[in-house]
Amino acid sequence: MTETITHDVIIVGAGLAGSWAAMVASREGVTNIGVLSKVYPLRSHSGAAQGGIAGALNNIRSVDGKLESVPVGESGDDSIESHMFDTIKGSDWLGDQDSIEVMVNDAPGIIYEYERMGCVFSRLEDGRIAQRRFGGHSSPRANYAADWTGHVLLHTIHEQALRHGVRFYSEWQMMELIIEDGVCRGVVAMDILTGELHVMRAKAVMFATGGYGRVYQITSNATANTGDGVAIAYNAGVPLLDMEFVQFHPTGIYKHGILMSEACRGEGGYLLNANGERFMENYAPDKMELAPRDLVSRSEQTEINEGRGIGDDKQGIYLDLRHLGAERIMERLPQVREIAMSFLGVDIIDEPAPIQPTAHYSMGGIPTDVNGQVVIDADNTPLHGFFAAGECAAVSVHGANRLGTNSLLEASVFGRRAGYAIAEFIKGGAKLHPYSGDGVSRQRERLDNFMSKSRQNGNGRGQPEQVAAIAAELKQNMTDNCGIYRTEEKLLIAREKVRELRERFKRVVVMDSSQRFNTELLTAVETEHLLTFSEVIIEGALNRTESRGAHFRTDYPKRNDEQWMKHTLAQNTPEGVALSYKPVHIFWDRYPPQERKY
Amino acid sequence: MTNRTVTVSIKRYNPETDKKPYWQDFQVELTAETTLLSALEDIKSDQDGSLTFRRSCRHAICGSCAMMVNRANMLVCDLPLEKVLDKNDRVTVEPLPYQPVIRDLVADQSSFWKQYERVKPWLVPPEGEHQREFRMTPEEVKALEHAEMCIMCGACYSSCPIIAGNKEYIGPHALLKAFMRVLDPRDTIPEERLDIVCNTEGAYRCHKVLNCTQACPKGLDPAKAIAVLANLGFRTGKISQERMERLRSLIPADEIPVKAAGD
Repeated sequence: MTETITHDVIIVGAGLAGSWAAMVASREGVTNIGVLSKVYPLRSHSGAAQGGIAGALNNIRSVDGKLESVPVGESGDDSIESHMFDTIKGSDWLGDQDSIEVMVNDAPGIIYEYERMGCVFSRLEDGRIAQRRFGGHSSPRANYAADWTGHVLLHTIHEQALRHGVRFYSEWQMMELIIEDGVCRGVVAMDILTGELHVMRAKAVMFATGGYGRVYQITSNATANTGDGVAIAYNAGVPLLDMEFVQFHPTGIYKHGILMSEACRGEGGYLLNANGERFMENYAPDKMELAPRDLVSRSEQTEINEGRGIGDDKQGIYLDLRHLGAERIMERLPQVREIAMSFLGVDIIDEPAPIQPTAHYSMGGIPTDVNGQVVIDADNTPLHGFFAAGECAAVSVHGANRLGTNSLLEASVFGRRAGYAIAEFIKGGAKLHPYSGDGVSRQRERLDNFMSKSRQNGNGRGQPEQVAAIAAELKQNMTDNCGIYRTEEKLLIAREKVRELRERFKRVVVMDSSQRFNTELLTAVETEHLLTFSEVIIEGALNRTESRGAHFRTDYPKRNDEQWMKHTLAQNTPEGVALSYKPVHIFWDRYPPQERKY
Repeated sequence: MTNRTVTVSIKRYNPETDKKPYWQDFQVELTAETTLLSALEDIKSDQDGSLTFRRSCRHAICGSCAMMVNRANMLVCDLPLEKVLDKNDRVTVEPLPYQPVIRDLVADQSSFWKQYERVKPWLVPPEGEHQREFRMTPEEVKALEHAEMCIMCGACYSSCPIIAGNKEYIGPHALLKAFMRVLDPRDTIPEERLDIVCNTEGAYRCHKVLNCTQACPKGLDPAKAIAVLANLGFRTGKISQERMERLRSLIPADEIPVKAAGD
């Protein structure tokens, strides 16, 4: 039976951002919080993060290229300012510097809070939290738990959310965001187990639904990362920010895309081409393998495109860790070793591992301020009662390219801040606004259409289509035509293809007719979401005639600050994607744009 | 040896439409890259969209895809299909046992999660704010890691013969979590934790069959953790201030005799 469920706060997504917000709001006295998750909370993709969480703790410093622990009482060489500058430079001056400042300032405190809540970090001999190097960071400030950092953070924060009495709706799929008269009033969601749809009303709604990497063929992302929140917000009239910026991680498992942590290179791993050359010396002679991800992935792709790739189709590169030695690999990179053994049959102690660039992180998303409040235009007008944080949001701290270890930090910091802001919003007298709309019947119709018999019979409008085929073509299209290297020509092809697929999607049929745990139906819903925001990625990329961070146009290979140091805002209109732009927040006296070299 | 057609035999069941479970065979193309999960995905997209299973991360960290493969519980995402084929090029796949089936390979894990929450899996830290981290030695961390790497996949739970008949038993996954919290020098309620787990629905119920340890895809040892808990509860009743020293003497846990205490 369809019923209306009411909470003070509904949070969609139970990864780091959502769980932090729920835990904090509950701790602050908001007792009636519901968290929806399409998977069990501990299955959230935050748990797959491996290498570390950034924060200038100054436990470790680099002396003559060697790492040593900073003696107590002595100062290290890291600082909040250095973390800030590295993040700005990493973002290719598209990150909002006021937001970045908030994040790096909050970093040490939130890492200590994690630690005090039970998180099991790796340690130095003297008992402090261990740190390692990471790409684009000028000091060793990746605080880690072996190579399963995300896993320990996720379990810790989920446990604390349970401790504070947060109610979880596990295996519920959000279908629609309810906004009327500029006020957010709740969501429509499906209980996957029963297939029933429910209106869930709330005074505040927060999205923490994760990224959109599943729109690419080769990706490190979990199957759940279909950008549902991003697509649903866009459909509800919320603009999306900087969607054309998609990060490709340099070391995905060859042909699988599964992540081999950047910690491999942080610990000293080499990248080799087919000639056995450490080719990064031609691209980033100073930072070598520890240049930022956009630059390393492009370098790999150039090697591959010029015929120096490895593997049967020459689309791979070697990641060589042999010189680290067995002991260090077992202690610091145990999970990576397991992954390489399972998927490649390679023991990284003895052999180099074939890898390739893999779609990894979504810089773009739902625009928010530093307290998770969603803003809907260039003037930062707030949308009443709607919050977002984590990968689905764009604060924007990562700008055009995220640095490794800044994502766990961002999800945590802005999840926590959203939690405080939501608590304040509720305690400040937020109202439960009335809703008498037909969200449930609209979504019921959407689902029934997928399963309708007349559609299965062709319905007089052409052959029925399969979800899996459309999803596969879409992913191939995005990889080939809107990937690491982009041109106008390719992007136009990408746009045409997405239009064609959207038409064909109208004839999609789901053969599974059961209401119960219908995962084929879910795949159809998810694929519709992929199609929705693909168009936004492509339009943003087409219009942005420059190269910045992860967005590289071979026909416009230079960054163009005069014209393009601005965020893309994409609005859903009856005529399609409407683009507008929003200034980047720059501290001109402190961090003016520079050439970005490593 | 790859690039051939092999058989994936799947136990199907939809309680809405089927009177009882039945076996269905699917033929899939085996390549060097095929995992059991990718084979299930291929079957779902090309042959039968109604095939139902859970999965997410694809590299053995989210814990979604534990199933019974050739009668043993394991994760299917990082499992090369070729490794589990018998001499007739065939593999059998069933849902995790000892729990109600929601559909096909999806088990109803309600009791599993209920027991997890029952042991208060969260750390209860001391009150107050802290400027720095609590100092822990690498050895202490190593001891905790044995439990911290648990991904809550349920492979152990669904291999435990006690769980088969008694859902009131806390189970190896939750006892391993309790062990980790009791061992953690930062936690403030070890006595309460031992009260929760050192009884006949907890550590003393364990028959030391060790199926859980055998089933764990992460190589963890819940059986040993349960034995340590049983020891602690049995010998000390309430643990006091010297708890830290005593617990440290238990690390590494390798030396703890598995059949030390209990019923």
